[in-house]
Formats: sequence, structure tokens, C-alpha cells
Amino acid sequence: MSHLDTELKLLNDDILEMMHLVKGQLENGRDAFMNFDEELAHAITVNERRVDALELKIDRDCENILALFNPVAVDLRFVIASFKINTDLERLGDHADSIAKYILDFGGPIDETVIKTMQIDEMYEVAIQMLNNVFDAFATDDTQLARKVFRQDQILNEINRNVSQTAAELIQKDPENIQLYLYLFSIIRKLERVGDLTKNTAEEIIFYIEAKVLKHKKDKYKNNRENS
Amino acid sequence: MQVKTQRNDIQPKSTKDMANTRYKLQTKNINVFYGQFQAINNISLDIAPNSVTAFIGPSGCGKSTLLRLFNRMNDYIEGFRHEGKVLIDGEDIYTQDVKLEELRKKVGMVFQKPNPFPKSIFENVAYGLKIQGIKDKNFIEERVIESLKQATLYDEVKDDLNKQALALSGGQQQRLCIARALAVKPSIILMDEPTSALDPISSDKIEDLIYELKNKYTIVVVTHNMQQAGRISDHTAFLYMGKLIEFDKTKKIFTNPEKERTQNYITGRFG
Amino acid sequence: MNKQRLNRNKDKLFQGMGITATVFCMIILVIFISFVLYQGLDRLSWDFIVGLPSRFAGNAGIYTAWIGTLWVMVLTTLISFPIGVGAGIYLEEYGKKSRLNTLLEINITNLAGVPSIIYGLLGLEVFVRIMKMGNSILAGASTLSLLILPIIIVSTREAIRAVPKTIKEASLALGASRWQTIRSQILPASFGGILTGVILAISRAVGETAPLIVIGALAYVPFAPTGPLDEFTVLPIQIFNWVTRPQHEFVINAAAAIIVLLAITFMLNGIAVYLRYRWQKKIRW
Repeated sequence: MSHLDTELKLLNDDILEMMHLVKGQLENGRDAFMNFDEELAHAITVNERRVDALELKIDRDCENILALFNPVAVDLRFVIASFKINTDLERLGDHADSIAKYILDFGGPIDETVIKTMQIDEMYEVAIQMLNNVFDAFATDDTQLARKVFRQDQILNEINRNVSQTAAELIQKDPENIQLYLYLFSIIRKLERVGDLTKNTAEEIIFYIEAKVLKHKKDKYKNNRENS
Repeated sequence: MQVKTQRNDIQPKSTKDMANTRYKLQTKNINVFYGQFQAINNISLDIAPNSVTAFIGPSGCGKSTLLRLFNRMNDYIEGFRHEGKVLIDGEDIYTQDVKLEELRKKVGMVFQKPNPFPKSIFENVAYGLKIQGIKDKNFIEERVIESLKQATLYDEVKDDLNKQALALSGGQQQRLCIARALAVKPSIILMDEPTSALDPISSDKIEDLIYELKNKYTIVVVTHNMQQAGRISDHTAFLYMGKLIEFDKTKKIFTNPEKERTQNYITGRFG
Repeated sequence: MNKQRLNRNKDKLFQGMGITATVFCMIILVIFISFVLYQGLDRLSWDFIVGLPSRFAGNAGIYTAWIGTLWVMVLTTLISFPIGVGAGIYLEEYGKKSRLNTLLEINITNLAGVPSIIYGLLGLEVFVRIMKMGNSILAGASTLSLLILPIIIVSTREAIRAVPKTIKEASLALGASRWQTIRSQILPASFGGILTGVILAISRAVGETAPLIVIGALAYVPFAPTGPLDEFTVLPIQIFNWVTRPQHEFVINAAAAIIVLLAITFMLNGIAVYLRYRWQKKIRW
């Protein structure tokens, strides 16, 4: 294996580790949220530092590979994609961290029916599913899998669009807990952002493998076999 | 005058450092003159074992001279004179009792242009052993094959080791020269622009080979090709007009060099 | 436009001059050789080659002369080859650029241009008189060796210089000593060139007359020499001697002897050309 190949492999491994780490943060966030586990929420905020450190390392590795090896073609796309995915993942981590901080502010468990009404459990489910798809897509160079994410993201967007209505109704019914609802509202906004970032990651993966730029395009998920 | 005072200042320090064998190769305030011309100006640098160090710089900056100090190939040049110390494993190699033959067994060299002897492939690799007086045929054959394998050439030539070496391609010849150097089991390999006479694909093979070899050897490469220095080396020394401008990790040199002159050179804005 | 045509004409003119010069030389040579052949070929016989010298042209042979030439040739080779090649190697490989060496080099080049009669006088004084070799083959061979040493040295140096420096460096860098490098790389690679130079020098020595006359090689030696200290004659002296006789028969003898001498010289040159050709084919860089 050539030197560049070795370095790219190491970068690949680091990205995978980053993905694993961030996914863990999000899953822990869900568990902490559902079961009101303050300890777990606290652990998330601590783990955030590891995410930050890994982000810096990957940044530096990308810089070094670009400077030392002047990669071209697929290697270049891989490094550029990794560089962007890295940033996306770090922000994913940030959102997980923010959610953990909200949980610590709740002060008590949340009524399950409220969660159901606001569809937060469903959002988590979809978001984690998306992450899984993206990570598998990255690990196996499977762009079909990456494209699945675009449709899943629409589910999140849908929920997010409906949440204002739902939240308003809940607040009207139960004005005393307005702060709690606002927290939940914010969590939903965060989860929607998680979906966007995951989608960006999927776009980067497709860019790296197929050299296609899908950014700012409508009907992304259609743009595979029929169109190409 | 200035040089002299510098040397006096450093003298006690360098004797103290002599015990420091953490470094495979060291130069201590080395000055090299060819007649009146000063080719190397007060260079001190330490090279760690099992690493690849690249010397870069414009033509005539002294990088080849610096490289050839380590196996005393400059000794043959008319008017060569040096001051300061060159240490290998902490020992000065420019003292009376150092035998050149022994030194060069320890320090192999690969040259700019592939220079196999006009003999067979086998004879080329065996040469270093034969001049040592080794007669054991099995031993020589084993070592030849081992060296050819190490140089990733064996598979290409194994059918006919008696083939004339000059009939090989340029890249193969250069790998043969590397095998020839490896056969005497050096711990250090000096390479003087080893790929400058080769096509890109052959160059890549040599670069990959260097990367493989660094696990076992300390390698110093002179190169005109900055990208090559980036790809293969752990440390890079930038020389200019006989002076060591900057010596640091290659990553550092290529992403954030300390000196402006280094930056200008590696970005191609050399004026 | 005009200038171009002028240049082309100049080019043609020069080409014409070159061809004329070459053809002229060839014609002279052909006339000379055919004349010699015409005169001497009939006289050439086995008896002539193995015959001893005689006062009678009809009985005279060149046996003692060509045996003498052979002796001189072999001895000269034995003396000049190791000394000349050794000196060449020293000057090229070991000699540092000192005053002394520069002086040596200039002198060696100059020596190649010294008239051969001067060498004869030197040989007479040093070998014949001081070293008391007498008018022997050894004295003659020593003198001729002196004469051709500069040629051998110069051609040895040139042959060594033709070996790429990179080969030498490769050998030294592998831990070979200077002598190992010379013996196993430089000499094998340059040997064809060295040999060519030596053979050409020898063939020049074979044709030399003047220095041998000076040191006292005789025209009339009744018996073929059997050892290096015997008196001797050589073909060129025999020829010279015959040519100076008034009788026409002796002149014909001379022509026949010239054929033999030319054959020897051409043969040596042929070997040199062959060696050079083979050497160039074997080693390419």
C-alpha cells in the first residue's frame, strides 16, 4: 500500500470513528430524553469534548494530506468530502450537546403523551435511522443508501413544519408548563437541523463517490439511475 | 573569523552531545569548503533513526554536499575541506581510525542516475558482498534474493538473474541499485535525487519503496521535487546558499513554515 | 536568400575538398602498396621467410630479422604494458592535482612528440653503456618501450576516463577500496580501450628503425637470436640495409620484406580495431 493510501485509510478510519461517536451522542440523547436520565445527559456534555478533539485532528489530517500529497481525482474528492463531513458531524455533536443541556434543565421526566403528540420520539427514530444509513453508505461506498436519506429528511421537515401548530395548542391547553413546551420546541428544531446536517453528509458522500454535486438541487433522490 | 568564534562557543556542547545516540545521524556546526568556495555554512542537524529526511532547496544550495558528508563521498573532490563534526550513532566519522570501507557498509547510497555495473543482475547485487571477501555461494545467493525482494524487484527479474543489468528499464535499474545497496545490510541509506531520471510511474514505485524501507532504515533523500519531499519524508530540511534555513517535521514545513524564505520556496514564489 | 545559397555552396566546396583529400591519400597508399606488391610478391616464398641472411641476394632470407622483430615486440610489450598502464592508472585515479603531477602530465604529452632518434641516443647511453646491456634485444626493447610509453599512458588515461564516474562512485559507495574499484570495475570496463592503445603503440614500435640503428642493432646477424641478451636485427633495419645496396636484386628483397612488415603491422591494427569494436558492443552506458 502506498503512503497516500495509508494516509487516506487513516483518515477514513477517523471519519468512521467520528460518525460512531456522534451517533452515540444522539442515541444517548434519546435515551436520556425518554427516560429522563440526567447522568447520561451529563455524560453527553462531557463526551462533546472528545468530538471536538477528533474534529481538530481530522482537520489537521486533511490539511496535511492536501499539503503533502497533493491528491487528485477521487483522492482529492475524498479528502474534500471528509473535510466537510467532519464539520457537519461536529455540528451534529453540538446539537446533541445542546439537547443534553435542555434535558438537564427540565427538572423532571416528561409526560409520554406530550412526547407522542409532539412526535419527538418519531423524530429521534428517523434521525438515528438517517445517521445509520449515512454511516453505512460511507463505510460501504453505497450511494443508493445515501440517497435514502433525502426522503427521510422530508419526514423530519414535515414534523418540524407541524410543530408550531401542535406546540401552540399544547401551550393553550396547559399554559403553566410553557417553558417545558418551549424546550421541547427547541429540541425539535435541533433535530430538524440534525436531519439537515445528515443530508449534507449524504451529499458529500455522493460527491466523493460519483463526483456529482447535489447541493441546492430539488428532487435529489430521483437523481440516480434514471437521470444519470 | 566569525565561523571560528562560533565553533569555539559550541565545542564543549558538542562533546557533551556525543554520547547522545538518540539520533542516527548528526552534524555539528559543519562547514564545507571546495577550495575557496564555501559550500556548507555552519549546519547542525539531527536525524532520528528509522525516519525519512528530505533535503530540499534550489540547485547548488549544498544539499548533495551535505548528503555526501555522511558517507564521505566528498573526500574525492578536489579541494574538499571541512570543519565541524559529522556523527553516526554518536561517533565522529571523520577521524583517522574510521575505515571508509566499514563506514560505507553502514551507509548505503543510491545515485541520481541509475548506475548498475555492466554485469548481470546477480553480480550487481552480489558485488558489495564479494568485495568484502565473502565466498559462501549459498549465503550470497540468499542475500541477493532477499535484497531483490526488499527492493520489490525480485518478481520482475526472478526468471533470469543472469540477465545483463543494463537491459532493465530505468526504474528497474534504480531498484536494482537500491537492492545492491541493501545487500551489504546498511542501517542508513542516502539517496541523491533517486527519481529525477525516471518516469512518473517508476518514480512512484521508488517512493513507495522508500516508504516501506523506512521501517528498517534511516533514509536521507535529496530531492528537487518538493511534492516528493512532502510525500515521502517525515522531516524536511530546507537549504539555501549552503545554509540550513529550516529543519522541521515535513507536515510543519508544508503547512506552516517558520521562515518566509522556506514559504517562498515551497510555494514556488522564489525570487 | 542569397546568403543561404552562398552557405550551401561553401558547404559543397568544403565537402569536395574533404573528398579530394581522402581520395588523394587513398590513391597514394594504393600506388605505394601495389608497387611494393608488384616488385616483391614474386620474391616472397617460404625459403625467403625462413632463410638466413646472405651476401647473395638470391639466397638471402629474412628469418633472423623477423625473429628479431618478434623478440623485440614481445619484450617491448612486456616492459611497456605494465609500466604504461600502471602510470596511466596512477595519473588518472590516484594522482591529486599537485604541481608535480601537472608537470608530469605535461611532460608525458610532450614526450610523445620527441623524435625517435633522440630516444635511440638515450637508450644508447643508458641501456647499452651505463646498464651494460650491449647491443642486445633487451636494450632495443627497453628503448622502444620508452618511445611508446607516452602513447600507452595517454591512451590508458583516455580509456579510463571513458568509464562513467557514476560506476566508480557506485563501487566506492558500496565499500570497495580504490584498488577493488579499479580492478573489478574500471579496468574491465576500460580494458578494450587500453588494449587498443597498447596494440597501436606496439605496431608503431615494430616499424621503428632509427633508435635501433643508434643503439647498434646490426643489419647482418648470421643466426636467429635465442635470448634477450643476443645481438639482433629487425625487419625495418634489414629493409633499410637492402634498399641502400646498389644491386637491383636486393631492392626486390626489400620489397618482399616490406610486404611481410606491412602484413605484421596491418594484422596488429586489425586486432586493435576488432577489440575496440567488441568492447563498444559489449559495454554501453
